[in-house]
Amino acid sequence: MFKRILIANRGEIAMRILRCCHEMGIETVLACSKEDLDSLPAQFCTKCICIGPAPAAQSYLNENAILSAAKACRCDAIHPGYGFLSENAHFARMCEENNIVFIGPDSQTIRRMGDKQSARALMQKSGVPVVPGSGGILTDWHEAARIARKVGYPVLLKATAGGGGRGMRAAHNPSELRRAYEDAQAEAQSAFGSGALYLEKLIEHPRHIEVQILGDTRGNIIQLGERDCSMQRRNQKLMEEAPASLLSNFQRTAIRRAALKAARAAHYISAGTVEFVLDQKGKFYFIEMNTRIQVEHPVTEMVTGVDLVREQIRIAAGLPLSLKQSEVRICGHAIECRINAEDPARNFMPAPGEISFVHFPGGNGVRVESAIYPGAQISPYYDSMIAKIIVHAPGRLEAVRKMRAALGELTIEGVKTNISFLYLLMHNGDYLSGRFDTGFLGRQAKAIVRWGEESLKHRQKS
Amino acid sequence: MNEFTEKRERLLSYRRMRKLSSETVYVNSHLRMVLDAGSFCELFADLKTRDPLHFPGYQEKLAAERRKSGAWSGCCVGTGTIGGFPAAVGELSRNFMMGSMGSAEGEKLTRIFETAQEKKLPLILFSASGGARMQEGMFSLMQMAKTSMACRRFQESGGLYISVLCNPTTGGVSASYANLGDIILAEPGALIGFAGPRVIEQTIGEKLPEGFQRAEFQMEHGFVDQVVPMMRMRDTLVRILSLHQPRKPQPLPEEAGRQVPEEKAADAVSAYDRVMAARDVERPRIGDYIDAMFDEFTELSGDRLGAEDPAILGGIGRIGDIPVTVIGHHKGRTLEENVRSRFGMPGPQGFRKALRLMREAEKFHRPVITFVDTPGAYPGKDAEENGQSTAIAESLAQMSTLKTPVLTIVTGEGNSGGALAISAADEIWMLENAVYCVLSPEGFASILWKDSSKAAKASEVMHMTARELVQMGIADRLIPEPEGGIQADFKRGSGLLKTMILQKLQDLLRLQPEELLARRWQRWRHFEGCRAPEDHQE
Repeated sequence: MFKRILIANRGEIAMRILRCCHEMGIETVLACSKEDLDSLPAQFCTKCICIGPAPAAQSYLNENAILSAAKACRCDAIHPGYGFLSENAHFARMCEENNIVFIGPDSQTIRRMGDKQSARALMQKSGVPVVPGSGGILTDWHEAARIARKVGYPVLLKATAGGGGRGMRAAHNPSELRRAYEDAQAEAQSAFGSGALYLEKLIEHPRHIEVQILGDTRGNIIQLGERDCSMQRRNQKLMEEAPASLLSNFQRTAIRRAALKAARAAHYISAGTVEFVLDQKGKFYFIEMNTRIQVEHPVTEMVTGVDLVREQIRIAAGLPLSLKQSEVRICGHAIECRINAEDPARNFMPAPGEISFVHFPGGNGVRVESAIYPGAQISPYYDSMIAKIIVHAPGRLEAVRKMRAALGELTIEGVKTNISFLYLLMHNGDYLSGRFDTGFLGRQAKAIVRWGEESLKHRQKS
Repeated sequence: MNEFTEKRERLLSYRRMRKLSSETVYVNSHLRMVLDAGSFCELFADLKTRDPLHFPGYQEKLAAERRKSGAWSGCCVGTGTIGGFPAAVGELSRNFMMGSMGSAEGEKLTRIFETAQEKKLPLILFSASGGARMQEGMFSLMQMAKTSMACRRFQESGGLYISVLCNPTTGGVSASYANLGDIILAEPGALIGFAGPRVIEQTIGEKLPEGFQRAEFQMEHGFVDQVVPMMRMRDTLVRILSLHQPRKPQPLPEEAGRQVPEEKAADAVSAYDRVMAARDVERPRIGDYIDAMFDEFTELSGDRLGAEDPAILGGIGRIGDIPVTVIGHHKGRTLEENVRSRFGMPGPQGFRKALRLMREAEKFHRPVITFVDTPGAYPGKDAEENGQSTAIAESLAQMSTLKTPVLTIVTGEGNSGGALAISAADEIWMLENAVYCVLSPEGFASILWKDSSKAAKASEVMHMTARELVQMGIADRLIPEPEGGIQADFKRGSGLLKTMILQKLQDLLRLQPEELLARRWQRWRHFEGCRAPEDHQE
């Protein structure tokens, strides 16, 4: 087992890794930016090293600085957490070259899974359903029309170099296709310098379902059930649940099997996630594989009782998985809410500042993952997520009720947060009955915020 | 105040809002409370306005109201049963745009009037409304006239229309069909009026008194028959409907019948003792007779012209199996009661109220029984200002054409026009100790002999006792009383009276209206009191 691990991350995930390491008797070295020297993990780590100024590019994304810190402190391994360098194949490769264990899959797997087209091709070859489409770069709009006819409308034209919605056009029928093709191409050309497009079937009102995977160095691969992460706003997940109550038993078995198939095809090692979209007819398609620990990993931990970070470290140390597939039991229902320092009333704009007061909920089945404390600074340089509240209860409705109680208790003063928004969401009829897809918050967020503002007009001084 | 205060208030406000928004409102909440479960059959449910003025924002407002209430308009009409009695019913509900009457609401109300007329059903309408719907401009104003006309057509066809005024009934609704009911009930405290109190205050620049325009205020001013709390509404409606059911003629049980006791021979009680007995504070009042003889009595009040007179008590009840209208002078026992009812001395509003009730009785072919017990019409300033004489004259004239049997019973003292005004009947009966005369003996003595202490002597010469009046043919029948007056054995006395009334009503009800009116005219025509010259020559 490792003697010392360098944590190349910040905030709640740094705390999560730190706590796990200390449980396992491993020393921790925190590589943090100058901005984070007062943060909670910096107080509790065995050793803290400043690796650069506040901007992430000069600190948390600074591969050389982190690697030299690890070497200087004689760390055996680096845990990258999520975000930052966690899915950076180059950094993983550097670690391998320097004989420091990168806690995660090897650099090759990261690279292969990081490229969407190659990941898609691999999955297709291994028999995992993928979103039907061109499978490669289109030569002209005639070809696009031909493929669109085959996969069925509506279709989506995407730039291979694209991202963030740019170079992307939907066509709902053949007459729109040429226009969409030309528009997307022009936009991609001007934005990314490459007009290469590919075509995909457009999944309307998709649900986002992902399956947690663990694979060890001895070739054992298990899945730990799925999570429903459809509650998203601009591709940012806000709330996750496990298991996905929407699925029938048949679908559940099928999607878990597909995830295992995908992980095996990638010869996956460490903790990872296979993401799927579920269309309205209940068909699911592989979209990508995440080669890191995820923000929402606690919901799976709650329903399975497996410590995913611990497993990750064990796997990285060359140990076998501590449980077999047959020992995996999904028990009850867990929900996670991400508490962000943002202002829902002002289009969820990040709201950095100083935490003047904080009170966390507690009690049976309530788990809090956070690195804030009274007096902590919420920095504008990094992500606005400041806490995660996870509840675990025998059923979904019980979990929702527990989450309501927890959010009702959670009090953070000093910065604007989305606590009230989440609290109201927990009372939303469509959410309660499971009628939501990835576009739900886009459509409903304003109404929920307005409902809250409306309520405050009924405020009475107590 | 601490760090949690803000949070706490926020959570409480969410809870309050959840409670508010979870409250589903109904446009038929009153109907649900009075109708027999499962009997309601809604009619014209999907009528909705076509927004004649294309009023900006109106469609959105309608959609929001529909979302809240699930209805297309603020009016819900249909048929159902109440206590087993079939009825056409409707409700204009404040839960939909404050119950304002737009074209859809007006149309539904008109159609339910027509339905009730067609199916010969009594109609009950609950109204709670702010008035005409502004968003539909003149189209909603026209609904006032349309519903009023439909209402009158229905009423003239003989239909019973009970209007229940809920909170609030104002503006174009109160000034149309809602205030045209044969019987008008109101919810306690309901705001009822044409112009809203705020408008009135702003216009006249005065603060309005507490309770102004409330249901109780309207009742005091004669526009509402009864103020009925919602919890008693169903019972009241059942009673009224039951009293308005067409009567199946039933033969009178014979043995109960024809046993009218023989009249006793003339006794030695002096006339003035009779006067004293008639004025005895222990003597039964109209309320006692009603309690003893009538079932399901429902009081109705108001002259619908601006006043209510507590000196006249009126209502509908059932004697045996015959629904009747009961009207009489209302004397109290204590000073307080008497001050309220002015010692049973009616003003013009009292006579107008009595007349209104008689007209109502005539419409539904109910006999009228009047109880006379009054020192006379109220001699007061406001009574004269309001036309006391005209009211009495009008009453006498109108009673002669009432196409339903009228029976008068003089139970105490009956003096002057105040007594006569409600006793122009087919028959006048008198209790043995009752007196009936042109003026009180005291007044008589002071006019004739300038000495009111000679009342005892006056009462002798006035021939005012029941026995004398029956002998003279002024009264038709004497009801004997035991020693100590009827109150000595009221149960027996009232039982006897009830039997006699039942017999008489059976007889009178057999007559055709024309014959009844002819006999009534002959009865009164007969009081000549003078001799023609040709009689002299005989």
